[in-house]
Amino acid sequence: MTTRRVTTAGLPPARVLVLWCPDWPTTADPDAARAFEPVVSLVEELCPRVEVLHPGACAVGARGPARYFGGEEALAGKIIETVTGGGFACSVGVADGLFAARLAARAAAPGTATVVPPGQAREFLAPYPVSVLDSEELTELLPRLGIVTLEDFARLPASQAVNRFGAPGGAAHRLARGLDPRPLAARPPAADLSVSVAFDLPAELAEPVVFAAKALAEQMHDGLAARGLACVRVQVQVISADGQEHTRLWRHDGLLSALAVAERVRWQLAGWRPGSASPGGITLLRLVPDQVVRAHGRQLGLWGDAVVSDRVARAALRVQAMLGHGAVTRPVPAGGRGPAEQATLVPFGDARDPERPPDRPWPGRIPAPVPATVCRDPLPARVADGTGAPVTVTGRAQISAPPARMSANGGPWLAITAWAGPWPVAERWWRPQAARRRARFQLVTEDGAAWLAAVQDGRWQIEARYD
Amino acid sequence: MKAGITQVTQLPRRRNDDSVRPAGAIVVSTLAGAAPPGGAASPAGAVEVGALDGPTLPVLPALGELLPGGLARGSVVAAGRWSLLCLALAAGASVAGAWCAVAGVPQLGVSAAVGVGLDPARLLLVPDPGTAWPQVVASLLDGCELVLLRPPDRAPAALRRRLEAVLRRCGSVLVVAGEWDGAQARLLVTRQEWAGIQPGHGRLRARRVLVVADGRGAAARPRTRWLWLPGPDGSVGPADQTVLPRRDLRDAG
Repeated sequence: MTTRRVTTAGLPPARVLVLWCPDWPTTADPDAARAFEPVVSLVEELCPRVEVLHPGACAVGARGPARYFGGEEALAGKIIETVTGGGFACSVGVADGLFAARLAARAAAPGTATVVPPGQAREFLAPYPVSVLDSEELTELLPRLGIVTLEDFARLPASQAVNRFGAPGGAAHRLARGLDPRPLAARPPAADLSVSVAFDLPAELAEPVVFAAKALAEQMHDGLAARGLACVRVQVQVISADGQEHTRLWRHDGLLSALAVAERVRWQLAGWRPGSASPGGITLLRLVPDQVVRAHGRQLGLWGDAVVSDRVARAALRVQAMLGHGAVTRPVPAGGRGPAEQATLVPFGDARDPERPPDRPWPGRIPAPVPATVCRDPLPARVADGTGAPVTVTGRAQISAPPARMSANGGPWLAITAWAGPWPVAERWWRPQAARRRARFQLVTEDGAAWLAAVQDGRWQIEARYD
Repeated sequence: MKAGITQVTQLPRRRNDDSVRPAGAIVVSTLAGAAPPGGAASPAGAVEVGALDGPTLPVLPALGELLPGGLARGSVVAAGRWSLLCLALAAGASVAGAWCAVAGVPQLGVSAAVGVGLDPARLLLVPDPGTAWPQVVASLLDGCELVLLRPPDRAPAALRRRLEAVLRRCGSVLVVAGEWDGAQARLLVTRQEWAGIQPGHGRLRARRVLVVADGRGAAARPRTRWLWLPGPDGSVGPADQTVLPRRDLRDAG
């Protein structure tokens, strides 16, 4: 570490331009990723080799395009004009290195650019708190040591930062000083580490290509790992039958699993603008590791990807290839009062947090045991009292008469042998379009079946069955 | 440059962490070798890591007497109509660390599945396999140790034979919520009664069911067993048939 620090300490990082769309959701939502593709295409019209950092942010090397457009300010203005013209709010930052450029883009007001002159990244970064380093350990520890800003952190001797915080601390210290987090790779990789697969029959659908991409990514990772290397970015190149080529750079940092790379390929294919007629099927897919560095042994398990064994992933991908991406899901427990709200189904390969956290009290939740059958759309039902009149519930949760028989979804009438309720729920009254008031009942019918029914606006519905 | 920086937000962080739980989080006793007497083989025995290596998949202790030895790999178990029993059959393998897939059940109550012991982190759902369901099931059998299927209709004989061949090759288990001619084991809920609820009083607390199991070969003799399915805490447990449900006791008093 120290020897390398000496050789590259004074070398300023390359000029980087970052485009940031402030309104973009920062979650790993694949829809957001697909929607970002048009923005990338707009930027690509002006400069080549756009790197997608995450949905909502992309970066380009600024040196060449700036020379072409007559200065970095002119380039930034041109990009803002183009992207804003496309209907996307954005801001731009130009600085030495990706880290400073990213913060500069965030510092700029929407529709404007912040240009940090060469060599001044350290001064620009100085007032930022250490929390921007995006390392939980450092964010927690450094303020306790009295190091609040990046300026304080950068003033520490580099060797001590590495001694105390290890390789990640060393990288963070380089960032704070306005340098690249990793020393530049001293030499280009000797061997060609790219991998490709040709489709003899042009693949019309995205799914077979994504399926192949996973195996290909594994092959690429194996090739890199065998040499103790990792790539900062991966270039995905797709060639269609009519000769069109579509290339995109994705941030990798040695952290993406094969499945995650395949997912990037899916996003890229989904976002390929079909404006220029039909691409006529895909004949070649190539993955090129870009900016190869020494691997520092980051574990895939941190992201939970390794838990899905290859065998399961292969089976799930194959079913997705048959039925579409959303057909195979994994349940994520979520919070809620009704039985249908207590799980979020996430397409296999996506990662998403549940909309409602499960670890909250949720007063008024249906008590255990939970029903095994939860109707996706509640079934219409009729519930009558002893005289045959429909049972109603008043605003003060009083029932008109004890329920005596019920009919679900137009089925035969069944006598009710036991029932519980009404349990009134008034949910989300603060949001008129999502608000609802309903009263829930548990009903047991003569055939031994138990139902979870609800009455809302005078209409009865079956929400679930205790099968 | 420094001017105009009024607030600094944290850099976006990739949120990608699954809720991963280790396989040993749930306590269950596994079935190895001979059938455990009365399910009391290991009252608080933890999951054995190697429980999935044998020729059978483990089942919940409460189901041990109905399915001595567990679920034989490569076999089909028919469980009548879709009910909590199907999920309970899959739960034993899931707690032991197996991957399970559920195909053709769009109305699956995930919380109930978790309640009987299925691990949601190792669960794949294909709610609508459509007309290609045999291919979907074959693919799932390839990847998961146990597949729970609700076929849209009665499967024709040729199809059944093809899927059974896949089963034998992969060594997984197919639990069918429905009829399956030639199933190695068949379980049926013949009676059920709810406890804890009366007209206008109480609420559903637990269900006592009478499960009948029969099958082919060694499993030919029918066995019956009363179970709490679900019990008061959502789990599955043996119910002693001499104990009257709470409802009857209350009626007497």
